[in-house]
Amino acid sequence: MSRLRRPSKVMRMWDWSVPPTSAHREVLSIVPEGWIDEPRATRKPPILFVHGLAHGAWCWREQWMPAAAERGFPVYAVSLRGHGDSGGRKRLGRTLLRHYVHDVMQTITELPQQPVLVGHSMGALVSQLVADRYQPRGLALLTPAPIQGAAYELPKLIRKRPLDALKVVAGGTLPLRSEQLFTGLDETTAARYVDRLGRESPWAQYELLIPHRIGPVRCPVLVVGTPDDRVVDEKAVEVTAAAYGVDPVWLPGIGHDLMLDGGWEKALSVVLDWIDERC
Amino acid sequence: MNDVVDRGGAWAVVGAGPHGLSALKNLLELGLDADGFERDTDLGGNWNFHAENSRVYESTHLISTKPFTQFPDFPMPDAYPDYPSHWQVHRYFRSYAEHFGLLDHLAFNSEVVSVTPVAGERWDVTVRDRESGVETTRQYAGVVIANGHNWWPKIPQYPGQDTFTGEIKHSADYKSADVVRGKRVLVVGAGNTGCDVAVESAQNAKETFHSTRRGYYYNPKYAFGRPSDQTADLLLALRLPLALRRVMFKSVLRLTVGDFEKFGLRKPDHEFFETHPIVNQQLVYYVGHGDIQPKPDIDRLDGSTVYFEDGTSAEIDVIVFCTGYLAHFPFLDDSYLNPEGDHPVLARQIFTPATPTLAVSGLIQPDSGQWTIAHWQGMLIATYAALRAQDPVAAQRFYDAIVSETGVRFTGGAEYKDSTRHYYEIAHQEYLRAIERDLQRLESMAPAISGSLAAAR
Ligand SMILES: Cc1cc2nc3c(=O)[nH]c(=O)nc-3n(C[C@H](O)[C@H](O)[C@H](O)COP(=O)(O)OP(=O)(O)OC[C@H]3O[C@@H](n4cnc5c(N)ncnc54)[C@H](O)[C@@H]3O)c2cc1C
Ligand SMILES: NC(=O)c1ccc[n+]([C@@H]2O[C@H](COP(=O)([O-])OP(=O)(O)OC[C@H]3O[C@@H](n4cnc5c(N)ncnc54)[C@H](OP(=O)(O)O)[C@@H]3O)[C@@H](O)[C@H]2O)c1
Repeated sequence: MSRLRRPSKVMRMWDWSVPPTSAHREVLSIVPEGWIDEPRATRKPPILFVHGLAHGAWCWREQWMPAAAERGFPVYAVSLRGHGDSGGRKRLGRTLLRHYVHDVMQTITELPQQPVLVGHSMGALVSQLVADRYQPRGLALLTPAPIQGAAYELPKLIRKRPLDALKVVAGGTLPLRSEQLFTGLDETTAARYVDRLGRESPWAQYELLIPHRIGPVRCPVLVVGTPDDRVVDEKAVEVTAAAYGVDPVWLPGIGHDLMLDGGWEKALSVVLDWIDERC
Repeated sequence: MNDVVDRGGAWAVVGAGPHGLSALKNLLELGLDADGFERDTDLGGNWNFHAENSRVYESTHLISTKPFTQFPDFPMPDAYPDYPSHWQVHRYFRSYAEHFGLLDHLAFNSEVVSVTPVAGERWDVTVRDRESGVETTRQYAGVVIANGHNWWPKIPQYPGQDTFTGEIKHSADYKSADVVRGKRVLVVGAGNTGCDVAVESAQNAKETFHSTRRGYYYNPKYAFGRPSDQTADLLLALRLPLALRRVMFKSVLRLTVGDFEKFGLRKPDHEFFETHPIVNQQLVYYVGHGDIQPKPDIDRLDGSTVYFEDGTSAEIDVIVFCTGYLAHFPFLDDSYLNPEGDHPVLARQIFTPATPTLAVSGLIQPDSGQWTIAHWQGMLIATYAALRAQDPVAAQRFYDAIVSETGVRFTGGAEYKDSTRHYYEIAHQEYLRAIERDLQRLESMAPAISGSLAAAR
């Protein structure tokens, strides 16, 4: 943990002097009736889902949001700027992770209670950057982008997918195909999802390559990985988990997009059971 | 004596303005028990417009922009403008309190009437219910005082003041332009209140005179399309030295506003950053239109006439003293915060050498927005309180070290002009750096407090 400690959580000079611009935010939600005004009517904390690279709030809406709402959780998902139906697409080329952090913080302050943050892939990194300044009820990191920076993955990418690597270096969006995201989905469904993927900010992608120093965070942390993930390798999951002093939960048989892939029910119940027990 | 309720390890927080709210939130966040007491029926302090202690007037907007003014863990909505109104600010504090569940820990209509020490460095806090008049005493492990220092009026005395036939008001009584409408008005003082009131008077009064005892730098809210405080933070982020920042600010002023003396304003008798910054884009404009007539200090008053130091005089219907406010702690014996009797001299503007379980939040006048600092003051106090609960010996070590620095100021290298209003003036970035070092020291003394472990809850 100490290794990953950031030098200054107090002096956020760039945020003070060049604050992030605002962008229209798409926030999907399923909340029990009247909950906003009477948030304590449910014993369950709200959940805020943060999507990953090139995804959007839609990826949570397919399976997880209705299922979690069914279990009594007020659920929200935000599309980071330039993603889903949020604004800021034209400025995507100038977007940094700190803009995404701003979008998540803005969504949080509209909630009547502190949410459990559930971040996927790049969204897991964004969620950690959020938790670096704000204490959520809990922090669940699913197949998280490596906190130590993904630069070490580059040689592998160059070897296996040289054209993709070239594209990323040139500022293009990392191509995500169904064989990388899913293990157990029928072809048409998988193709439908892949079709919905959008572009990613080149700068945010570059930022994924460098190490991030986060913490300490005071809330419960859950880290979930899968050995069948073809985007984020096991090492990334292990290092992230170690940074918070927890053991990762492994879900073999599911692919990187564990909120969409076959077996999503299992992954969701791991997260919701953890929230019920710990948050 | 009434029965004392023992609140064990809990801390009491006096006041539910931004500093009290932040202290309460951070104490709770670190797992401590805490009770907040607010004398008014609502939270927000100065920003709770109808409260007795509120000193904002109808037209008040922030003079500092959102990025540094807001709590770092609860940014203001994107929909708010750069300089929100006091109504928006009040709504913001309410949603902060709701979001973090503070309302369960706050008692309203509850005026703290005495804070007295008891054995074991604990405190008896007596609270009067302002509806029923009933007083209750509870005992706490520590007390955070966050009663604000911008509400107790400072009223000057001039020769002949009691012969004055017009009205004498302090800005504390100024809630809207009704005070000046159609009258011959003298505004005294050029803090941000004096400048706002002078401008509002220029728009509504028959005649407006503005008396200041020195010349000032009137900073615009925007220069070259950027909010001034963000530019100030940018120059600090670039680590430009004070002398260079002075040159840059003065050049920008000259380029965008012009030469103050040509407007008939007094030449500043001091360097930039030596007085609390004024941020007002309109005052110079109205001076240029003759709607505000600048005057030096008052010499004496006689009937309806006010004589100024330069020998001129004016007929006046109402004087509004915008001469600022003084810190005031009526519920606490002076020996704890203010043994010298003039004003509190503390360590980090928070800790007093007199006792380790009393902390003050909000006794600062930053050259910036304030609630980022409120957050970190609250966090420092809460972390210290948590350490005391866990490891009193280590906490005492921290306390001894910090109070050995009592009286150390954070001026950013400037020498503030001698004035009551600069007692608590701080250069915000230098101050925050010091607070951060203290926090790191505390966290290294008690790793469990600093969290990191999922086991913390
Ligand atoms: C006109 C004006 C404009 C300002 N503009 C800005 C700005 O643009 N940006 C900025 O950052 N700052 C500004 N400030 C500074 C402002 O004072 C602070 O932002 C902030 O309100 C200070 O917060 P506080 O909690 O310390 O005190 P306050 O806001 O004064 O709150 C103190 C609270 O304590 C309560 N209290 C007092 N005594 C007792 C008692 N005995 N028992 C129980 N409760 C008690 C009071 O009722 C009050 O609610 C401005 C101040 C003024 C006067
Ligand atoms: N957001 C806003 O729009 C806004 C509006 C108002 C106030 N504020 C804030 O509120 C706080 C209080 O401001 P304030 O303007 O009420 O008070 P202030 O900053 O204390 O200013 C008082 C003014 O009166 C003068 N003065 C003091 N005592 C005097 C005396 N005995 N005789 C003559 N002149 C005297 C001071 O002169 P010296 O220069 O000699 O000290 C100064 O010009 C500040 O932090 C300010 O920034 C913000």
